[in-house]
Amino acid sequence: MATRVPTVSDLRVKLCYICREEERYDTSSDEPPRAWTHPCKCTLIAHESCLLKWIETSQGTTSRAPNALKCPQCGSEYELVSRETLMLKALNSGNKVFQKMGRLFTVFSAATVVGVVGSGFYILCTSYGAWAVRAFVGKEMFDTLLTDDPSNWPWTAFINLPLLPISLILSRFQTVSSMPPLIPILLVWPPAYPTGAQRRILSDHWLSSTDSDLSSHLLSPARSWPPSPVMFGLFVFPVVRIFYRHAFNRLYFWALGTQPAVPQTGRMGFQLNEGPFVIRIRANVQDGAGAPAGVDDVQNGQEAAPPAQVVAEARAAENQDPNAAAVAAAEHLIEVNAASLGRRIGGALLIPAISNLMGTLLFHLSKRSSLLRMFLGVRNRPMGSSLVDTLPFSYKREMENANFLKQFSLGLKLATSALWGNSRVWAEQDPVWWRNSIGLGLFVVAKDCIQLLHLYLAKRELESRHVKNRDFAGVDIRELDLIPSFPRPPQ
Amino acid sequence: MASISARRLAKELREIEGEGCPVGINLIKADDFATWWFTIEVMGDSLYQGEVHTLQFRFDPQYPISSPAVQFLVTDGRTAPVHPHVYSNGHICASILGNEWSPVLSVVAVCVTLQSMLASCKKKERPVDNDRYVRNAPDNPKKVCRFSDY
Repeated sequence: MATRVPTVSDLRVKLCYICREEERYDTSSDEPPRAWTHPCKCTLIAHESCLLKWIETSQGTTSRAPNALKCPQCGSEYELVSRETLMLKALNSGNKVFQKMGRLFTVFSAATVVGVVGSGFYILCTSYGAWAVRAFVGKEMFDTLLTDDPSNWPWTAFINLPLLPISLILSRFQTVSSMPPLIPILLVWPPAYPTGAQRRILSDHWLSSTDSDLSSHLLSPARSWPPSPVMFGLFVFPVVRIFYRHAFNRLYFWALGTQPAVPQTGRMGFQLNEGPFVIRIRANVQDGAGAPAGVDDVQNGQEAAPPAQVVAEARAAENQDPNAAAVAAAEHLIEVNAASLGRRIGGALLIPAISNLMGTLLFHLSKRSSLLRMFLGVRNRPMGSSLVDTLPFSYKREMENANFLKQFSLGLKLATSALWGNSRVWAEQDPVWWRNSIGLGLFVVAKDCIQLLHLYLAKRELESRHVKNRDFAGVDIRELDLIPSFPRPPQ
Repeated sequence: MASISARRLAKELREIEGEGCPVGINLIKADDFATWWFTIEVMGDSLYQGEVHTLQFRFDPQYPISSPAVQFLVTDGRTAPVHPHVYSNGHICASILGNEWSPVLSVVAVCVTLQSMLASCKKKERPVDNDRYVRNAPDNPKKVCRFSDY
């Protein structure tokens, strides 16, 4: 009679090689029974939950990941069965591509910095700054403020421009409470008045065009919309960001069933921070420990993973919330693949290009929607064709021959306009910077949503995991401690 | 319900008390499931004849998923053995304490591995980067190094 091959459920005593708990076939424990698995080709068996936890932890540590699915005794591969959707695979491989590109960027920029030290670095930063400003405010504004010829630049530009890339990068390495990445571009700003030759042409023009109706221009929406860059950077943007983060946390809760982790500010003193949103914080704690070790191709996951993992696990244990633990694990898995310094810095430096791209996209879209056009404040009038009059040049004349009441109301309007922060140069031109900011905002939202989707899918994959159970084929049946009822081959 | 780490350590402790430690290894302190001390000496012919060193194990609540933090004690007159993989502050460079840790290993298995690491030593010397390492040594000995023969 051919005997069947025994499986893990035919063992008399089961001993988990991870937690060392035993279970005998004939005693029913009072606790709910736990699933057992025999995942390899030797006699080691384990609780499925213990094994999954071990696999998850090992996969989360770069140096251990290659051996995560190997039996420590016989070396055979564990087979995982899970719901790894096509979408998750695509997102995972997309993530890896970015990681590779980030590494290439690290190598490339390291070579560049070494080759072009000192002045070269300065020139690089300055031209990047000029490029960033140009990408962000549009060509028209750029020609007014700076022009392509550096000899026209005010001296401040030689300080502001090279600082721009640096502050862009720094904004990614700070805690969530400090500057968001957009602020440096808005505040480390070239002076908001025209340079040399341009200035004379402009002021001549302003002085000569006095016949237009002052009051109506002041009140027209085009004057106060969009808000000025300074106003936007200091007030509007932070407020929008707070609301956005709140809304995003709700979405996060809805999708993952747990709150994003509370940021652990100040724990490392120096934290790497990917973006303004809480979703990345835990990962940043992990990065913070590894990053100071070296700037070359950063393998931080490796060294710093245990603390992050411990923190996440401990928190999950405290809350008794398996959901939070699953999210932490999924986050951890994704972050290990994503934590490259090059990717981070490269991403920061691409911000102007991205916002320019998104702004252009919005501009093209606005050709089809007048509402969007109004919102973006798109103006097609080329410089100087139909300029609006305002202080200081033409107001003076108007003020002189106005009565008291009119003077008062004019003053009020002036004060409001000053508070709103409109400078003449900014107000008159097509606000490229505005649609670029909106575009960047949309980009950030889309990026966050994709990340959240990735996290959600990764979490679902983790939760659906099973280790494939095998029978004891290939193991000598006499080595196994089998239950008495197991049919034995005839002696 | 006690945590998994406490139950597993309790079981390992029962086994040690029941079956005893391998020759040359003695449990001297296991008051809780956080820190255990062993004395370790190399039996037979070796460079470390007559030396007795003290090993300290520290366990976190994730044990055995996370590896124990193992080092030689260098306080109160105890010393770390002079060995190419042992720093003078007691930290040990051994892959089974880091990357190659697996829950199939146990406290006694780690002791035995370290004992044989000492026994097979050919030349008593400190690691080449000992001074630099000891100056900036992290508190956690798990991060000592990534690659070694043991």
